[in-house]
Amino acid sequence: MPHAESTGAFRRGFWALAPLWLGVVPFGLAYAITARSAGLSLLETQALSALVFAGSAQFSAVGLFAVGTGGAEIVLTTFLLNVRHLLYGVSLGRRFSLTRRERPVAAFFLTDEAFGIAAASGERSFPFLLGAELSLFMMWNLATLAGFLLGSAIPDPASLGVDLVFPLAFIALLVPLLRTRAELAVALASGALAYVLSRSLPGGLPVLITGVGGSALGAILTRGGAPDRAAHPEDAAREVG
Amino acid sequence: MSFWPTLAGMVAVTFGSRYAGLVRRAALPPFWVRFLHFVPIAVFASLVTPSVAGARGEAGIRVAACLVAALAAWRTRQLWVSIAVGMAVFWLLRIPF
Repeated sequence: MPHAESTGAFRRGFWALAPLWLGVVPFGLAYAITARSAGLSLLETQALSALVFAGSAQFSAVGLFAVGTGGAEIVLTTFLLNVRHLLYGVSLGRRFSLTRRERPVAAFFLTDEAFGIAAASGERSFPFLLGAELSLFMMWNLATLAGFLLGSAIPDPASLGVDLVFPLAFIALLVPLLRTRAELAVALASGALAYVLSRSLPGGLPVLITGVGGSALGAILTRGGAPDRAAHPEDAAREVG
Repeated sequence: MSFWPTLAGMVAVTFGSRYAGLVRRAALPPFWVRFLHFVPIAVFASLVTPSVAGARGEAGIRVAACLVAALAAWRTRQLWVSIAVGMAVFWLLRIPF
């Protein structure tokens, strides 16, 4: 591909994602403030954003770190939250013809938002996909840095109740996902089960058990009926991280 | 707490999921497509309920703030509005009358 053409496609991808920055920045700020009050250093907080680059998984991980959860449970929760990227990969792999070298790069920076933009656009080139992916990567990491510094400026975050940001953020992520009865039922059942389990089980186990159980419940409830919206780009673009 | 090994594990499972999809050509079985659709819903809900009450004896006003935030999330679908509304309600209710 000629250089000018791929530069143009990269730019189009980069700017196609820009409207979603508005959703990413507050989420990144909230994540970094929570990470800081969970006791993570700036390097650790930033490393999660640069290397894992998955908002809701990072956010849940720092919440679990804060209550002293073991590494294995955090990794398994991360897996559970991020395994949906399989669907995006399968969908993108069919639309975009990526070379062997491009695939790991495209995979590393793949997110809900980039998938949504790439799938909804008529584009088929790697530079466009990479432009959209790096657009989010840049903004997510800047927001992480800004959030951590902002958190450092607050003298006593615990007394301000900043740990409330954690449930508030996940409420804000959850509510827009609830459009059908099955989705509402799964949310209510999962919330109730996790609450009960958290009374007796430590750390991340309630989240893991409920995550698997609640998802299986949803899959069973929608058996044969509900149309699959899991891999629809416009839905993915609305979900964060 | 071992941060860096945990981070390495998180990177491995996240990159693995992203890469496996790109090299896979066949669609997933329908049950697993539906299962994956519900994962964020189940996990997000299970992260919310145990963390609402908090450890500082402010469970009542925290629950109230979360309920108002849920309403704001439903009406506006904006993450930052929901967090801002929730924190504002929490701080207002904290003022001793």
